[in-house]
Amino acid sequence: MKKQLSRIFTVTLISAIAWSCNQSDPAPEGTYVQGVFVINEGNFSQNNGNISFLTREKNIADSDIFSIVNGSTLKGGMQGYAVAGDHGIILVDNSNPGSDKVEIVDANKFTTTGSIGAPDIENPREVVAIGSTKAYVTNWGTLNSNSTYPAGYIAVVDLATKKVVKKITTDKGPENMVLHNNKLFVGNYDYSEGKNLTVINTTSDEVTNAIPFTDEPNPIGVDANGKLWVQAGLDLIRVNPDTYEKEATIKISADMSKSAMNFAMSPDLRTIYFVLGDFTRGETYKFQITDTAVNLATPFAKRMFSGLAVDPRQGLIYAGVTPSYTQSGYALRYRSDGTLVDSVKVGIAPTGFYFR
Amino acid sequence: MYTFQVFDRQNLRCLFLATLSFLALNQHAAAQKDSISLSPMTVYGFAPEKFMSGLKIQKIDSVTLEQFRFRNIADLLSLNTPVIFKNYGPGQLSTVAFRGTSPNHTAVLWNGLNINLPTLGQTDFSTIPVAGFDQLSVQYGASASVVGTDAVGGSILLGSLKPQAGLQVMVGRQQESFRNSQTQATIKYGTRLDNNWNFSGKTAAYDGSMNNDYRHPERNGEAISPATTFQKGLVQDLFFTKNEHEVSAHIWVTDNKLTTNPENLAGRQMTRIKSYRSMLRYQFEGWTVRTSWIRDIIDYAVGDYSKLDHAVTDRYGVHAERTFNWKIGKSGSSIQMQTGGEFTHYKTQVENYERPVITENRGDVFVLTRWQATPQFLISANLRQAFVTGYNPPFTPSLGAEYRLIQNRPYTIKLRGSLGRSYRVPTLNERYWKDLGNPDIKPENGFNKELGAESVYAFNTNHTFSANLSVYHNRIDNWAYWNPTNNFRVENLQLVIARGIEAQFGWKGNWEYWKFGSTVNYALTNTSQEKIYDAYASDIIGKQLPHIPLHSGNANAFMQYKNLRLTNQLQIISKRFTTADHSQSTPAYLLENFILETNFDRPHFGASFQARINNIYNTFYQTINGNPMPGRNFAVSLLLSAKTTR
Repeated sequence: MKKQLSRIFTVTLISAIAWSCNQSDPAPEGTYVQGVFVINEGNFSQNNGNISFLTREKNIADSDIFSIVNGSTLKGGMQGYAVAGDHGIILVDNSNPGSDKVEIVDANKFTTTGSIGAPDIENPREVVAIGSTKAYVTNWGTLNSNSTYPAGYIAVVDLATKKVVKKITTDKGPENMVLHNNKLFVGNYDYSEGKNLTVINTTSDEVTNAIPFTDEPNPIGVDANGKLWVQAGLDLIRVNPDTYEKEATIKISADMSKSAMNFAMSPDLRTIYFVLGDFTRGETYKFQITDTAVNLATPFAKRMFSGLAVDPRQGLIYAGVTPSYTQSGYALRYRSDGTLVDSVKVGIAPTGFYFR
Repeated sequence: MYTFQVFDRQNLRCLFLATLSFLALNQHAAAQKDSISLSPMTVYGFAPEKFMSGLKIQKIDSVTLEQFRFRNIADLLSLNTPVIFKNYGPGQLSTVAFRGTSPNHTAVLWNGLNINLPTLGQTDFSTIPVAGFDQLSVQYGASASVVGTDAVGGSILLGSLKPQAGLQVMVGRQQESFRNSQTQATIKYGTRLDNNWNFSGKTAAYDGSMNNDYRHPERNGEAISPATTFQKGLVQDLFFTKNEHEVSAHIWVTDNKLTTNPENLAGRQMTRIKSYRSMLRYQFEGWTVRTSWIRDIIDYAVGDYSKLDHAVTDRYGVHAERTFNWKIGKSGSSIQMQTGGEFTHYKTQVENYERPVITENRGDVFVLTRWQATPQFLISANLRQAFVTGYNPPFTPSLGAEYRLIQNRPYTIKLRGSLGRSYRVPTLNERYWKDLGNPDIKPENGFNKELGAESVYAFNTNHTFSANLSVYHNRIDNWAYWNPTNNFRVENLQLVIARGIEAQFGWKGNWEYWKFGSTVNYALTNTSQEKIYDAYASDIIGKQLPHIPLHSGNANAFMQYKNLRLTNQLQIISKRFTTADHSQSTPAYLLENFILETNFDRPHFGASFQARINNIYNTFYQTINGNPMPGRNFAVSLLLSAKTTR
């Protein structure tokens, strides 16, 4: 036994030395320096969401890396993950009210360094990081007793001190965010009745504008021409991010029974991928920013996904599949021409991806 | 009360015609053979067990019922049967898995009436305290031909018992850790009214509060989900008997209010289930006629409770059956036959249903037979056909047999076997929930096969041993599934096969002052989904269903000296998977409880005292991940009784 141990130790040591010799730069160390993080929402009532990790060249993911590293689970549904500097920030939504939190980890090793819970964090939805110590987290707050949405807020998190330094009130049901030129565009959840796109100055962390839409706006990204794309209902709207003028509106579909969701922009900022479906069936489409209509005749993929994202490094499209909430989901990888590369088993209900 | 607002006349007529023709047919058949001598006999009460030959029935003895008098039925069943529960915490939702099936597959009957909530098609066992009934039998495996819908995995039979003459008053209270308590009061009375009529009755009330005030609200770093439960109930049984006539009225009102996260005023959730159950029964010679009304109210609210989600379901029922008894010649062979019908009108008002008020009619006709062919050989053949508005439940036959291989010796061996079809009428939620419900959903269709052997061995005057062994195979097709890939619409996607072995061993030792006894239960339950319904089903197929342990068991042992009794209870549950693809699980656990009891009895006065330590090893366990159960805890109870002597 001892012999074996020392042999293992020697081999490990040699390989470690060999590996470290390979490194030319003093790059950050840790298992999670580079790769794809899959946000598995989990089954809400079971509080069993987690984060899977895979390196780009592999088609096997490590499931629940947080518990592998820290020995305990995150105890909630996963809503988002982002990295600022060496800090990772995980949004955890527990089915028990008052038990939601953001967990802060070492971004490279995934060891926990702290967490922030109620009352600062309640129903966290999405996170974006700015700089090396700052993150914005959209929160719905506690829903009204008739399930309607109160005005939500953004928790401004200082990752160095692990504190919420400011709460910025937004419209109802704040959800997705897009950062652009010291501005944060904050959209709202589909059924929240929050119909203003909130604009926040990231220097002062004050709301500067509220841009009204006919449906709940969802900011997608800023394209190669510097234009902000917003989805509201079945409309795709091109917005000037400086003047807030709506320059063009493209009808995605006239079929009111369908919803458009899971928008993702390609790394060259010229293509938008999204899912259009009636909840039971749907397809995934792609749209060029120069198109005047969505080509519904030729879907990108003849199926719908629970999450979509494009890897800025390789340009592969990552698509989440949720067969049920009681079994593992899959991340499908597609090339931009729509051909399938492979399928990777991940956690329950993959809805988001973070690329490093 | 018994006004039928909307009668489905077509259905009703068809039902009664069918019943009548069954009756006529039977009479006719009986009249044709002159070797059959007709000698009707009266069977009082709802005795479905009589026609369940070949099936395993476990009658819970009165000592055990007494021991669990202040607890709920889930505690009793998990420590005395292989029935598995999934529980969110003390006083919180507790759902059953009987022989590897879902909570929808256990019929819960109160005096013969199915009391599962019709919207959910199941019972929250945390809302059924042992104080609510007098008799409890557990029937294993499908018995839909006798019991009707939901009896796929098994049935829980609760019953009222006719009190004896005289007056008896009982008052008791249990005080538990975490500021939990239950108080109950019972009055039983019986008297002769005149030369012909006897009257007896029972009035009982219980009031429980579970504050779940944990001193350490965390276990192993996991928060115990805070919840309070307040439970009240009233039981009223009245019996009027005269020779072969018996009229009885039964009422059971329950009110169970569960609040999760009570401290969080914005996020707390309140679930209140109120059930009004009533029944009027008349038995005369071979006839039993019963009318019933059940109202179930489920209120659910969040935060300031300003918006109440209010759901009301009424069930008005009539039931009539006739029992015949024939002795065949002089061989000692006899046939007993029960034939009858049942009609129930449903009216439900649930906010999220496709219409504000939904009504439907359900009916059943059945013929149950029991043929004692020889003193050793007993055969049961049962037929049932259910009718539901706009719906077609399958014809449900069953066949069972029992053979006494060895009897009239110090030891007996009985062999039994049964084949039976079962069905489950979909729940009202499954059919009528706005957008997600599926009015075209098919009834689930099961086929249960089982074999068993029972043996009792009276070794000498001191020692008695017993053993009970069962193997079963239960195939359930068209298992309903809220399909997430179809926006949680209900579909008949799954085919589940549950198979297993159950073994039970008992020993009793009796001496002048000393008594000893022990019961051991073991169940091997292998239950899995077998049908491919989408590309990703291969990750699930053949794997044990979530939350059902492969191995489970319990052991009870007691020693008693005069009036002092010490009981040790043990429960072992193997690892349970919490997801269908086995990617997540909750570990195995062992629980042990100690109970010390003593009582003294005087002619007019009695008292019994119980002290209990639950989870003596302070085991960390959970039946649902993220919901740790409490550690070591204590309870004491005292029951005082006074009675008249005759």
